[in-house]
Amino acid sequence: MKVLVVEDEQGLAESITDYMVKDGYVCETAATFREAEEKIHLYTYDCVIVDLTLPDGNGFQIIEALKRLLVTTGVIIISARDALEDKLKGLEIGSDDYLTKPFHLSELNARVKSLLRRRQFGGHTEIRFQEIVVVPHTRNVFVNGQPAALSRKEYDLLLYFLSNVDVALTKASIAEHLWGDNIDSADSFDMVYSHIKNLRRKLLEKGAADYIQSIYGIGYKFSQP
Amino acid sequence: MKLLAKTNRIYLTFSLVIYLLTAIAFYQIIRLVIYDEVENRLRVERRDFEAYVRAHNAWSNIPYFVENKINVTPVRGEVPPISLEIFTDTLILNRYDDELIPFRQLTFYESIQGKIHRVEIRKSLIQTYRLIEVITVAMLLFLGLLLVGNFWFQGKLSGRLWLPFYDTLSRLKRFDLSSVTALTLDKPEITEFRELNDALQKMADKMQQDYRSLKEFTENASHEMQTPLALINATVEQLIQNEQLTETQTHWIERIYQASRRISRLNQGLLLLAKIENRQFSDSQPVDLSALLSEKLSDMDEVLSFKQLSVNVQRTEPFEVQLPVSLADSLVMNLVNNAIKHNHPHGRIDLVSTKDQLCLSNTGGPLTSSPERLFERFKKESAGTDSVGLGLSIIRQIGDSYGLSISYQETAGIHCFRITKVVS
Repeated sequence: MKVLVVEDEQGLAESITDYMVKDGYVCETAATFREAEEKIHLYTYDCVIVDLTLPDGNGFQIIEALKRLLVTTGVIIISARDALEDKLKGLEIGSDDYLTKPFHLSELNARVKSLLRRRQFGGHTEIRFQEIVVVPHTRNVFVNGQPAALSRKEYDLLLYFLSNVDVALTKASIAEHLWGDNIDSADSFDMVYSHIKNLRRKLLEKGAADYIQSIYGIGYKFSQP
Repeated sequence: MKLLAKTNRIYLTFSLVIYLLTAIAFYQIIRLVIYDEVENRLRVERRDFEAYVRAHNAWSNIPYFVENKINVTPVRGEVPPISLEIFTDTLILNRYDDELIPFRQLTFYESIQGKIHRVEIRKSLIQTYRLIEVITVAMLLFLGLLLVGNFWFQGKLSGRLWLPFYDTLSRLKRFDLSSVTALTLDKPEITEFRELNDALQKMADKMQQDYRSLKEFTENASHEMQTPLALINATVEQLIQNEQLTETQTHWIERIYQASRRISRLNQGLLLLAKIENRQFSDSQPVDLSALLSEKLSDMDEVLSFKQLSVNVQRTEPFEVQLPVSLADSLVMNLVNNAIKHNHPHGRIDLVSTKDQLCLSNTGGPLTSSPERLFERFKKESAGTDSVGLGLSIIRQIGDSYGLSISYQETAGIHCFRITKVVS
């Protein structure tokens, strides 16, 4: 999977790339409009992450150029502007998602994965982690072939974990993933805890190993025990 | 007091005084002239009288057949000097119509046949008095007419002259600093007004420009801040992937993370406030706030059941207001968050709405500060919470900008937000 990160803030581009590379992506960066334009003309990418404000141009133009070249490339906008107009315009010209800065890398990663799944297999693909199988287009979860009845939020939580395997996830990022940016964190952390408790219980009941580890003071991690 | 009324009043008083003085002076001058004339004629008659006495060495009343014209009486006792000449005003009864008639009288002494006589020659002033009366009345009439005419003309003229000024004033009143339309003023032909308009125009343009650049600065600063914040967040997220972190390190990292998230939320809140103030939102449309609120409350069912809050909705009619969709969402979100956050376990949230007002109330602890103060920015009821203290300011700002009155009160542990439409 090839991903292009168009972001002029060097540090941020680096962080995103590091995160993606760890997850097995081939990741390239472009810091300017010209560089990005050159790259999309030379290579094909599965997904492009675009910052809207670039020193020498506008992210929208890159998306437009990209959509002219290859329609199947997924586009995720990352922008400091939280304006409805920008979001609508982005969707109109063919972007798939919009993340407002500052965002969680784990959230970006989950969105990229979900996007690639939709793009490449029309969502008709299974996500497999050891004995756990998730079928996204029917929202079913199987453990050792047995269906597990998860609530909507538990399912979302599991999918978020599966998109970020072996990664420490903060409670805040989980809360925001489940309930959106406006959630009040004081209550939501307790809610995250109770959802994780339920999810773990349900998975264990079906005979899965205990993959969810809690990391003191930070959050949770989904990985091989 | 209006400028024109004031000038008119001053003009009127001034003119009245001037006209009155003029009238008095005129009267005196005419009287003086007439007396001078009469006295000259009396002197001529005295000379005639003396010539007659010299020629005949006697005195006869015959040439003076008119009554009261002359009176000659011999003087007894001390004799005043011959050269004496006294003018006096006197009233003498008219024999025919029994009326007192004003006379001017010249008294002198004359020796007739060796004996000193006092001679009094008189001239009736009745004609001259009438003349003075007519002249005075005519003059008063004309002066009055002049006054009224002047007054009318002056009023008309001032009205016309000051027209550009009033026009400028009304445009200034309508001028809105935050709007995109610049102040446009005419170029009147009167130099002072043109200069005034030029100066005002320059000031307004400068103000608008400053306001705009300040606005842009706030916006840009907030935007620019989001990127470094994203970088901090991303770095922290990478840092926590390190498995060799000690407990203390984790604690520090958590603190950095929380602080950066707080800044980011603060920033977003301020940006939203600035955008509402600057009316940077697309067109308003009718929104049923009560429906939106109950929808949001049911979206939050998880949080509500987690905090064991019960929700009671009483909607008789839709409460429709004009708001941009995204702001309606912010408003509702902040109200609901507030009702949940400051509630206590097993508490309740009530939504009561009618056509004219909407009331969202929740149970909670008693207030320690004034409810109005909580609408101010960065005012928090409870210290140390994760909130940045902008929620209620955002609610108030949306209300202020879109004609909604939002009040908050607490009675016996029930906190109530009441939204009504401001009738403009």
